[in-house]
Amino acid sequence: MAVRTEPHPAYQGKVVSWLTTTDHKRIGILYICTSLLFFVLAGLMGLVIRLQLMQANGDVVDPQRYNELVTIHGTSMVFLVGVPILAGFGNYLVPLMIGAHDMAFPRLNALSYWLFAFGGAVLMLSFFAQGGAAQAGWTSYPPLAEQTAGHGQDLWILSLHILTASSIAGAINFLVTIHNLRARGMTWTRMPLFVWSIYVYAWLLLAVLPVLSAAITMILLDRGLELGGWEIQTSFFDPAEGGNAVLYQHAFWFFGHPEVYIIVLPAFGIISEVLPVFARKPIFGYKAIAFSTVAIGFFSMLVWAHHMFTVGLPISLQAYFMIASMVIAVPTGMKIFNWLATLWRGNLAFDSAMLFALGFLSIFVVGGLTGIYLAAFPIDWQLHDSYFVVAHFHYTLFGGVVFAIFAGLHYWWPKMFGRMLDERLGKLSFWLLFVGFNLTFFPQHLLGLEGMPRRIATYANESWEGYNTLSTVGSWVMGVAILAFVVNVLVSRNGPRVGNDPWRAYTLEWYTTSPPPPHNFDDVPYVTSPRPLYDLRRRLREREGARGAA
Amino acid sequence: MRALLSLAGLVSLVLVAAPAALAQGSFAPVEPASPNAEGIRSSYLFVSIFILAIFVLVEGALIAFILKYRRRRRARFADGAQIHGQTRLEILWTTLPVVVLFLIAAFVFIELPGIKNVPEAGASGELEIRVTGRQYYWQYEYPNGVIAIDRMRAPVGVPVRLTVSAPDSDVIHSWWIPALGGKIDAIPGRVNETWFEADRTGVFEGQCAELCGVGHAFMTASVEVLPEAEFAAWLEERRQAQTTGDVALGEETWEGVCAKCHGLAGQGALYRAVAGSAVLRDPQAVETLVRNGRRTMPAVGAGWTAEQIDALNAYLKESPPGGS
Ligand SMILES: [Cu+2]
Repeated sequence: MAVRTEPHPAYQGKVVSWLTTTDHKRIGILYICTSLLFFVLAGLMGLVIRLQLMQANGDVVDPQRYNELVTIHGTSMVFLVGVPILAGFGNYLVPLMIGAHDMAFPRLNALSYWLFAFGGAVLMLSFFAQGGAAQAGWTSYPPLAEQTAGHGQDLWILSLHILTASSIAGAINFLVTIHNLRARGMTWTRMPLFVWSIYVYAWLLLAVLPVLSAAITMILLDRGLELGGWEIQTSFFDPAEGGNAVLYQHAFWFFGHPEVYIIVLPAFGIISEVLPVFARKPIFGYKAIAFSTVAIGFFSMLVWAHHMFTVGLPISLQAYFMIASMVIAVPTGMKIFNWLATLWRGNLAFDSAMLFALGFLSIFVVGGLTGIYLAAFPIDWQLHDSYFVVAHFHYTLFGGVVFAIFAGLHYWWPKMFGRMLDERLGKLSFWLLFVGFNLTFFPQHLLGLEGMPRRIATYANESWEGYNTLSTVGSWVMGVAILAFVVNVLVSRNGPRVGNDPWRAYTLEWYTTSPPPPHNFDDVPYVTSPRPLYDLRRRLREREGARGAA
Repeated sequence: MRALLSLAGLVSLVLVAAPAALAQGSFAPVEPASPNAEGIRSSYLFVSIFILAIFVLVEGALIAFILKYRRRRRARFADGAQIHGQTRLEILWTTLPVVVLFLIAAFVFIELPGIKNVPEAGASGELEIRVTGRQYYWQYEYPNGVIAIDRMRAPVGVPVRLTVSAPDSDVIHSWWIPALGGKIDAIPGRVNETWFEADRTGVFEGQCAELCGVGHAFMTASVEVLPEAEFAAWLEERRQAQTTGDVALGEETWEGVCAKCHGLAGQGALYRAVAGSAVLRDPQAVETLVRNGRRTMPAVGAGWTAEQIDALNAYLKESPPGGS
């Protein structure tokens, strides 16, 4: 194994070399940093939302601004944080994990990143547009999205088009890379599970993003536009002209439900990498986990209308979508049981990365289980569009994805920078985030059951105040947790170097130096299992044992 | 083994105690006042049995493993047991959820007719009310032409059919009174149906559940359930008043339609103040304004009957907002 621990000379570059880089590792880091920036911005919007709802008749922001905040908070968390930060992990890790020197198309990769950064800027700056930012929610249902005045909605559409182009280019790049650049011996069943999850993530992006593009283009045309003297004004979703407003919802959720898994599957992938290393065990049921990833990806495209149980679909359709949604629970359950079994009879170490992974497990279970209520359509008639749903998807997307991302950040930080994050600060941010998260989102289940709808700018019902105040206090605790993480990053800038492989991990990215040189590897070993480094170490031990005996 | 047994014991305890405990307090949908809400609530409680059992099982195992298999005095990088998987276990935890989900789906289908179907009408027949969601108010039309806004009156013990829609020029809203059943969207160009049959008198509150614009949070609805005779009297009184420039409907219209944006006294709220405006004193101008809208103001009164416009004007004349 390589021994160099200083950063490679080619990396001692200036700002320009970062701006013009086509190195997948630097692009990965750019993706992650930019997404974290958007995470902080969208998180601050969340804090304002919570502040507004802390008490009945709150008056921190006016209702229009509130709707803008809700819309951009949701849109950014999905499109500027969830999808791209996992693209960042994918970019950094996939070539390293499969023993490649870079992505298949490095310049296309750079284009993906810059499109993402540009699309994100468009969305954030849309607050300054005439009429403010988009106000129709991240789902942007027509006719509301078509009737809102000003340019916010148009910029929202533009931004999503740019981000879609970015994701499609990125997805093609991942697929070609994974298909063609795997190390010798790395068959499909020896591929790291994180790479499996990025593989399914990429296929899903390719399959469903074009449908979103079509749907929001129809909104754009319905809103009307002028092109060199030509006025275009369609009415796809305008019932007065024979259009159908529900049609958009079908298209949106055909994209929107898989989108959840586009974000969640790579988060699952991170967990499947972290748990074995800190349990000193192979993952339990490798094939079952890989298979369930593919199964979830496939079924996620067949369940969309469980987001539409209240639009008045025929009962037979609602029954189908209930059963299809329940089918997805089975492979998801498989994963959870396999992760638990990975802990069984392990040698567990509780570093921050592991704490976040275990926190993920305990929270994601709750999000998965409350999903069963929502899949049962008559129960959904009661819970749909209430705070119960808000709680549910924050348990899956925040509890699931954000905890997994922090697990990944703490785990791969020494890989990326050759230095450790501070463990005490890491544990502090974990416990604050875990407590703050549950404090913020658990009471929201109860608010939903009591009849509080989502997306209301304020409420007069004082019996909702208690849980809302609790939730707001929780959001502050989470704010402190994120602050602790930021401090950790700053403090650890000059932390001690920890060598190439501080965790004695199992996968190929740890075979090279930390951080790796621009070309990643001088040589790559023949891969004999999903844990090539475990095999190498065992062979090394055996050889030494044999030598000792001789 | 002992750990497994105690875990199983805990799970069965939860199974027995859960629904009873949930039904207290706010861990289940609000106290129902109609059979459909009742059916939804019992489905919710039935599902809860399994949800809680699985929750306890998984979190219990997680905590048990964390305690039992922590490192203690072992070397940091010492191997744990090198177990790669076990087919029988995989089959077990694939089939077990299938069985649970099958039970849940079966229970839902058993409860479904009681939730979905309007019950047979009794001696006093049934009532049909047209519900229209509009930015940012609810309008109700009774079979005899009576119009009401935001507060619906209904008789106790009589099946009430609601046809729910929104005008073509409006946006999507969602009708939801939690104690009287699930929600149903009011969608332009589409007519949906729901129902309730209140089992007691009282006022049941709810509000629009689909983001419909700046005033979404203020789009409240309530159903006042009255004894049958009292309801009949109210309906008749309103019908007669409506033909003679009804001030009651005018007041409801002012409060439900105008005041949400302009304030109860016309002092301004979401939008500008209108108190003292000359328009309010000119019936013709009021009609033009509400029928057609102006700039950011939607055509809140498009499609209103002449009676409703007259009622609003009568009210504005009798008690001009902000005094005269
Ligand atoms: Cu509404």
